[in-house]
Amino acid sequence: MATVECTECGAEIEAADNVINGEILPCPSCGAEMEVTSTKPLKVELAPEVREDWGE
Amino acid sequence: MIPPTDEQAIELLKGAVAIDSPSRQERPVAEFLAARMRECGWASRIDDAGNAVGERRGPAADAPGRTLVMLGHMDTAPGKVPVRTEGDLLYGRGAVDAKGPLCAFIAGGARAELPPGSRLIVVGAVEEESATSKGARFAATQYQPDACLIGEPSGWDAVTLGYKGRLLCEYTAEQDSGHTAGPEAPVAHRAVDWINAVRAYGEQFNEGRTRLFDQLMVGVRDIRTSSDGLADRVEVSMGFRLPPKFEIDAFEAFVRDAAPGAKVSFRGREVAWEDTRSSAAARALVRAIREEGGSPSYKLKTGTADLNVVGPVWKCPIVAYGPGDSRLDHTPNEHISLAEYLRSILVVARAVEGLLGAG
Repeated sequence: MATVECTECGAEIEAADNVINGEILPCPSCGAEMEVTSTKPLKVELAPEVREDWGE
Repeated sequence: MIPPTDEQAIELLKGAVAIDSPSRQERPVAEFLAARMRECGWASRIDDAGNAVGERRGPAADAPGRTLVMLGHMDTAPGKVPVRTEGDLLYGRGAVDAKGPLCAFIAGGARAELPPGSRLIVVGAVEEESATSKGARFAATQYQPDACLIGEPSGWDAVTLGYKGRLLCEYTAEQDSGHTAGPEAPVAHRAVDWINAVRAYGEQFNEGRTRLFDQLMVGVRDIRTSSDGLADRVEVSMGFRLPPKFEIDAFEAFVRDAAPGAKVSFRGREVAWEDTRSSAAARALVRAIREEGGSPSYKLKTGTADLNVVGPVWKCPIVAYGPGDSRLDHTPNEHISLAEYLRSILVVARAVEGLLGAG
């Protein structure tokens, strides 16, 4: 299990060993959703907004 | 299991699209799908609601494993689109919404390796395009899955996290007939005033809400006037797309109060429902998309789907997935890329294994 710092509040976020790029890790402290941008070394950024789309 | 080849998967989709299946006329396509499911190893049946259902189980285990339901729909919006293949594109009503996603579930689910004790169910539901959602409502009473994938077009490399709620409304007002040059305003004016009041409610509610998903969307679907020479009548059909946690009862009360002397009725109530990007269902699909070489993205849709029916009942990780461009839903030009369809089958197989596997 690896850990990385939340970019919003600095809290420690745990990540599974098989975490992949693009995976979303919620911060257990502030709730912000972090996107994994690198696995080796483990890095995260605030995840982009979810897109809105029409229809079904 | 006899997992389908790419050619068989394409023939499955072409065969399903070629069978007209507007809501409440799904039996022929249900029988087709049940037969094709049996051919590739699913235990298939048509349930009491008319849904085509396929089931697979992993090897026997000492303890039960996870259950995954993949819920698509067999019915289509009205309107015949000539079925044809042009290069990579398959045209036909339902190619995108949503026989493409459903067939991807059938083919991808057939290819997945299931862990011991696990259970995989695919449902081709009836009446998703109808306000009744009869198939999904029945399915909601039959299973209690650990996760659910809804078959709707997100695009092969995207995941739909949620859909808006919906409410349908019918308004009727009548008054004695009068001369068009007389003093009394036509009955249609009462409907116009009511529509404007409801729209103003929506505009006020939406102030400060920048996301469409968080807004109340107000739409007039139909306005009809008639007269028998003694009484003039106006009828209005409206549809509302609802945001999460919307106070539907209070809204209905406002809509009624804004229509003095008129009849107002509601139907088709569905609450908005959404999952998070970190849910097990979203993560399994994102991982699968990446493993198939894609760059996954996430969407929230302004429409309403069977996710809104089963989500509040099952309260499990639930997202929608499927090949196709949803902007083609219900259009005369509805078509799907067969290459995208085949890619989505690979994603489904991986996602199923991820969701049913340990950890």
